[in-house]
Amino acid sequence: MKKLFIKIGVYTVLILICLEVFVRVFHLTKDYPVRIIDDRGVERWMPNQDGFSVTGNRRQNFSEYSINNNGYNSYHNYEPSKNKVEIALIGDSFIEGFHQHYYNSIGKKVEDQLENIEVYEFGYAGYDLADQLHLIYQYQSFFDLIDYAVIGLDFDTDLTRSEYYVMQDRMILESPKYQAMRKIKLLVYFQNIGAFDAPRELVKRLFSREESATNTLNEHDKKVRQKKLHETYFKNFKSLVNAYGFDKTRFVFLLDADKAPEFFLSYLKENNYNYIDFSQELKKSDIPTSLIYDMHWNNHGREIIANLISNYYRKKLP
Amino acid sequence: MLILVASYVFYGWWDWRFLSLILLSTLVDYYVAQNIGRQDDKRKRKQWLWVSVIFNIGLLGFFKYYNFFIDSWVDMFSMFGYHITSTWTLKVILPVGISFYTFQTMSYSFDVYYKKLKPTTDFLSFAAFVSFFPQLVAGPIERASQLLPQIEKKRVFNYEQSTQGIKLILWGSFKKVVIADSFGFMVDDIFQNYQNYPASTLILGALFFSFQIYGDFSGYSDIAIGTAKLFGVELMSNFKFPYFSRNIGEFWRRWHISLSSWFKSYLYIPLGGSQFGNVKAIRNIIIIFLVSGLWHGANWTFILWGALHALMFIPLYLLGVNRTHKYKNLGVYKTLKGWLQEWSQIILTFSIVTILWIFFRSESIQTAFDYFYVIGENFNFEAYLHPKGYRMIDYYLLLIMFIVYEYLIRRDERSPIPFKSKYIRFFTYTMLIFGMLLFYESNIDRSFIYFQF
Repeated sequence: MKKLFIKIGVYTVLILICLEVFVRVFHLTKDYPVRIIDDRGVERWMPNQDGFSVTGNRRQNFSEYSINNNGYNSYHNYEPSKNKVEIALIGDSFIEGFHQHYYNSIGKKVEDQLENIEVYEFGYAGYDLADQLHLIYQYQSFFDLIDYAVIGLDFDTDLTRSEYYVMQDRMILESPKYQAMRKIKLLVYFQNIGAFDAPRELVKRLFSREESATNTLNEHDKKVRQKKLHETYFKNFKSLVNAYGFDKTRFVFLLDADKAPEFFLSYLKENNYNYIDFSQELKKSDIPTSLIYDMHWNNHGREIIANLISNYYRKKLP
Repeated sequence: MLILVASYVFYGWWDWRFLSLILLSTLVDYYVAQNIGRQDDKRKRKQWLWVSVIFNIGLLGFFKYYNFFIDSWVDMFSMFGYHITSTWTLKVILPVGISFYTFQTMSYSFDVYYKKLKPTTDFLSFAAFVSFFPQLVAGPIERASQLLPQIEKKRVFNYEQSTQGIKLILWGSFKKVVIADSFGFMVDDIFQNYQNYPASTLILGALFFSFQIYGDFSGYSDIAIGTAKLFGVELMSNFKFPYFSRNIGEFWRRWHISLSSWFKSYLYIPLGGSQFGNVKAIRNIIIIFLVSGLWHGANWTFILWGALHALMFIPLYLLGVNRTHKYKNLGVYKTLKGWLQEWSQIILTFSIVTILWIFFRSESIQTAFDYFYVIGENFNFEAYLHPKGYRMIDYYLLLIMFIVYEYLIRRDERSPIPFKSKYIRFFTYTMLIFGMLLFYESNIDRSFIYFQF
């Protein structure tokens, strides 16, 4: 029996090494760029790094990213000046666009449609309104040189905070433990294909017998809860705008009006906050607008968003 | 004792309440066999055997077929104009593996009755035989005369047996994770939306189902046989590369062998087999195929599936060619003609089996005929796109490689990685695991199909 266990051990190690080689050779898993908190407390990617984003077990989606010297995924570096017209696109992973080639981004599509305009993309997965306004606030002199800014806003997920602070949940991914684990590509691959989901679910089921509170709520309670949440989000919105400022003449929100409550949209209108609503245009499309493997916009979806932004500025620009 | 406890924990994990059913079935057959063994009077021995048969079939009938029979009666009366509102149906949960362990316990009573086995006095061993966890929920359905003595005797660790077991577990897992689960997702899509697809996709759906059910069931059997080997127990083979069969007769000697041989030993032969002329033999063939269909589930689709297999088998029987390939190895030919002949037989048999699977997979007989109707009506070709947008070429290549590999290892179903070179063996292990990773889907229902039977 000892011989069997030794042989199983040796074979397991050798097979794991081979699999690690396969994963690396066929580039089956995504590269993780390094995150930093800069000296002004802004979270972004460490400047000047390249890599590939991969989705699916068999590399079903494979795209290259390139982090510029500003710490964002883009094909160019940002050098705003008073002599040019620039538009900043600030948002989360939808703007960041790791799921697309960096040369095929929303910003590039807008640039192609509007002459003599440079578009600077400040996309970072997980950015909410606090992150975005804090970024503009901290780099005010830089952003003052940029003529316009489009700020992504998802009412349900981007207003959970009333002030900016460093998200430790994300930064923990830069701890030595996670950095070391990411060096083992096979482990990253296992994680990405969900190979750990079943054992994790089993352990969860074994140790937690209680149902989560949300699952046990009835419809009425759910509505009350949602209303309270919306009120909190609205308060957070006001608090963030008060704290970091919002230039209504230059800034515009990019949002899905179907996902925002009516009272919030009315508030924006009454208080002269401009917004570009993409809900109807995406809905109207006969062909899918998001990727098969995740919820991000596919090329067609990005075309629609770029058209909306371009049309908005065509009317605005001289 | 360890096997018994492990088996009861394993089964109780699903639903502890149904442990009482296994225990009851164990107690009844243990007691029945004791009484059969004690009696010399043939009539009394038979009476005790009937106790076992009635109890086990009754258990199966109640949990598996009660609602089916009630609904079928109601439907039959409706056909004659008597409309009855069915108020007698019950919300009965089907205990996992009931069809397997009831047949296994019955085999014990039969073996004692036919004096192939002496009744055991070791109740714990008998209980372990009934509930032996590797094959408890989906077979192979073991004979008491083969499994019980192995459990009763002291088993010692055997290196060769254990490594064979691990290889079988690996191969079985590959068949389940890569073949069954990958194709299962597309099969569900095609069979649920068959009205919206062209003939080419519906044919593909049937083809994929053939491989799904084979990968699922034979994969489970391999895992069960492999696990049992780790405990020093040899279970019977359940599949011997059935899709390389050269006629339907051979298919049934290669597909779900433990069930077909069970019916042969305990139903076909007691009914007289083929000893009393063609008419009786055909009657017996029809009976075992119908019962075999019904065994799979409480639905007319399974019965029709069984009946159609009987229809395909009977001409072979009458022509005396149903056993032609029994002792003839696959892939042994000296001429091109022989090669062509063998492959045309294999393709023809596979096509028949695949067509008949449509009845097995469909929700109802009506749906099955509709499926065929759509094939005829919308007879055109259109490339099938995976519902999740995955590349289809991956699956076609996978299928081709799987068929080629199965053909390479066709000599021995219990040795799925038979290569002499340790480098080739190592390469095969790595590729099987790599394949499982490439085709693993984390968020799908991956229950084994035969658990429902």
